Amino acid sequence: MTQPSLSWQDAAGDSREIGFRPGQSIAAALTAAGVRELRATRRGLDGEGRGLHCGMGVCQDCLVEVDGEPNTRACVTKARLGMRLRHQDFPGVARLLDGPVPVPDDSPLPAPQVVDLLVLGGGAAGLSAAIAARRCGLDVLVVEERGALGGQYYKQPAPGLDASALDAQQAEGGALAAAAEASGARILRGAELWGAFDLDRLAIFDGTRTRLVAPRAVIVAAGAYERPHVVPGWTLPGVMTTGAAQTLWRSHRVLPGRRVLVAGNGPLNMQVACELAEGGAQVVAVAEAAPHPARRPLAAVALAAADPVLAAKGVRYLAALARRRVPLLHDTVLRAVARAPSGALQATLTGGAAFEADAVLLGYGFLPSHETLRALGAECAFDAARAQFVPLRDDDAMTTVPGLFAVGDCAGLGGAPAAREEGVIAAVAVALRLDREVPVAMLEARTAARLRLARHRRFQDALWALFAAPRAGLSLAEATTVVCRCEEVTKGEIDAALADGAPALGEVKRRTRCGMGRCQGRYCGQLLAEHLAATQGRPLDNLALFAPRAPVKPIAIADIVALDRAP
Amino acid sequence: MTPPREVAVAIVGGGIVGLCTALELARAGTEVLVLDDAARLGGTTANAGSLHVQMQSRFIRMYPEQVPGLERSLPLYTAAARRWTELERELGTSIELKPSGGLMVAETTESYEFLARKCEREKRLGLRVEMLGRAELARIAPYLGEAVVGAEFCAEEGKLNPLLANQAVRRAVLAEGGAILPETRVEHLAPDPRGGWVLRSASGELRAGRVVLAAGAGTGGLLAPLGLRVPTVAEPLHMNVTEATAPLISHLVQHAERMITLKQLAAGQVVVGGGWPARLHGERQHPTVEASSLIGNLRLASHIVPRLARLRLIRSWAGVNTTVDGQCVLGEVPGRPGLFTAVPGDAGYTLGPLVGRLAAGAVLGRRDLDFDIRPFSPGRFAGAAALA
Repeated sequence: MTQPSLSWQDAAGDSREIGFRPGQSIAAALTAAGVRELRATRRGLDGEGRGLHCGMGVCQDCLVEVDGEPNTRACVTKARLGMRLRHQDFPGVARLLDGPVPVPDDSPLPAPQVVDLLVLGGGAAGLSAAIAARRCGLDVLVVEERGALGGQYYKQPAPGLDASALDAQQAEGGALAAAAEASGARILRGAELWGAFDLDRLAIFDGTRTRLVAPRAVIVAAGAYERPHVVPGWTLPGVMTTGAAQTLWRSHRVLPGRRVLVAGNGPLNMQVACELAEGGAQVVAVAEAAPHPARRPLAAVALAAADPVLAAKGVRYLAALARRRVPLLHDTVLRAVARAPSGALQATLTGGAAFEADAVLLGYGFLPSHETLRALGAECAFDAARAQFVPLRDDDAMTTVPGLFAVGDCAGLGGAPAAREEGVIAAVAVALRLDREVPVAMLEARTAARLRLARHRRFQDALWALFAAPRAGLSLAEATTVVCRCEEVTKGEIDAALADGAPALGEVKRRTRCGMGRCQGRYCGQLLAEHLAATQGRPLDNLALFAPRAPVKPIAIADIVALDRAP
Repeated sequence: MTPPREVAVAIVGGGIVGLCTALELARAGTEVLVLDDAARLGGTTANAGSLHVQMQSRFIRMYPEQVPGLERSLPLYTAAARRWTELERELGTSIELKPSGGLMVAETTESYEFLARKCEREKRLGLRVEMLGRAELARIAPYLGEAVVGAEFCAEEGKLNPLLANQAVRRAVLAEGGAILPETRVEHLAPDPRGGWVLRSASGELRAGRVVLAAGAGTGGLLAPLGLRVPTVAEPLHMNVTEATAPLISHLVQHAERMITLKQLAAGQVVVGGGWPARLHGERQHPTVEASSLIGNLRLASHIVPRLARLRLIRSWAGVNTTVDGQCVLGEVPGRPGLFTAVPGDAGYTLGPLVGRLAAGAVLGRRDLDFDIRPFSPGRFAGAAALA
């Protein structure tokens, strides 16, 4: 069987054919072919363009021209036979819509479709909530951005990819997704909530049309994304998040590079290092910001006590790295990345060690995706211990907005097992809130979920006590280092704005354009808020972050105005 | 900074009007302090950068009783557009000002004829306007869709980048020795028995020899306790901005019958607005976007410029326009010596630098102003007679 192929035209205008496996994303196909830079930027800082970074559709850096259509995200777009891909100049050229032009319509918006429960996100938390809500007899609509269910923890093989589950984690996710499919919940894949105007006015693009939905309750299970690690060179093509590399491997069976350096904080980095090494990559080193576990024996013991099985899994990762002679450097942080004369990336670590690699993976923890929650008015508070904003919730995972629930990592990072329990708890709470008769089995399931959740939280607390490490914030950035990736705003430009009258967050944004770009300030927003708190004593409260505004993520105007007027 | 206790001139409101007033006063050697509460009802900070000159048909339609006032004010708009060009030169930095002309498009013969009549009136009032048919539009504005049958072209219109302009003016004020006190909300204003005025904010009391109220929609509220009823109304409006694209739209585009403004910024993004309503939300009266405006505005935009349909929306936001009665509220308050108002009637951003210059002239008692500002006096509102 011949492999399907697509064509790629690089910045110099040279074209070549690239083979791919059916089901793979454009980013996976290009990465496998050694293509790293996908586009130019407006200012061209760092002397290079951009490539794959977050790998999950959030950072909006991997934009590429697809069949003449600019600004297409390579990480979430499937490769197709005969596709013409092109390295994209800034800013790209708007194309004409095929087919009829929208006609202005002065009629009021259609009445929103009513549903008992809308679940935003089809990962561990969302699927668990959907299944439990169906068991309580609710009418459930699930919205998932990607083609596959399972989210970032279960990372399922890309739909269409001929691949079986890699391990128990992927198999467990497959079973959860299958249970959700069988539950009777309506599941929209490749769909996105783009406008959270009000709890009873949510605009969702289902892949064809925009529909307005008025749910009786909403469970947000939007997950998290990687916390930015702002160092010189972090925007270079080939520098990506640990999660992006894991998606390449687990969902597309592509290695991020032949030689890989992993730098970060927390157990995911070790897991991914093991997986990539297992897949054939040479892991040149793992740099872990936290001290060696032996120096925190109490936390290690607490961890083992809270969940011996998970703790043993961690020990196995350590052993696997040692067996492969992968240097595991504790108390070590990535300080800079540069382009080496060889064309590879040169990563410099604190302590002075330097490594050459084809891909540098950054995994410095996660930030909750709380933008939809905030847009709907849920009050958030800054959790100083974990350095993240989290929605305030009651014991049923309901936020300060009645009927709006937050479960899983978007509500503060608790891991997938906790997310599944929270999904059950919130779903039962929704059913009770809507005065539905809840089966006794589900009330018992909720009680059991609460007990297990307490244990998962003890495990998480012990885990992060073990991995506690100072956070770099902007301390490793130099004046020329880009802080806002989208608008290419440097640390020096931000500092200059701050030196001129100690402006508030919104004013810094207007003066520098920091946070005005495609990612909607998801990466630079909290960094800037923390910087203003540290330098100007501003509170890290509900108003400390950029105001979330529609669209939740950039969306084509044609998709916005394609209103579904079906009753 | 530690707020001063006394100043020669205090300006309430640090938007484009207040800053330009301060700039003119500081240049004249007057000690000036601008107090601004950016967090509330910001107009300038949310402005989209259209330079309006021809009469906006939405005002004619929404406020027919204001048409005489609009016509009286027309010469101001021409002068205001010129003032922006001078200001960019004085600032010595680019604010991406492009007086590339504005098109008000028509989709029907009736609406084209409506524009033609408007065009004739405006021509008589001195505007550089002309009617363009389909063939001429195809030549100068090929981006317009099939539905457009003709347009009124106004050569003086255009666009600028308010983010750059606001900063440049602010820096110029500081460079000329003016002072700006941000995040300060003036809550109350009263005559000082010893002469001048006392302004009260959370950070204390400030005495000022003279006061200029350039607080947009907040101006009416500050004047009411003094017995003057200036009906400033906050009109929260919706704006959309797309991703950047290669140069596509060179003009400021408006519609003869529907609410829209469309223009492309220097960096390539297309800003779409034009008066679709937003709402003031919560305790802080934060302008918040509405689904109906976002969708309706973009539906119309992609109808007029079909190529927009493929562009992605990056962000929407809401800002506040101030409406009064279609005319500026400009000059000294009768019977309240030392108290001045500086509120543009509509299109406040376009008029900002000119209104600032005229207000500063009034404060300095200059008699060589380019315009007779007496018709714009706050004395035309209820309560003025009692004050005088």
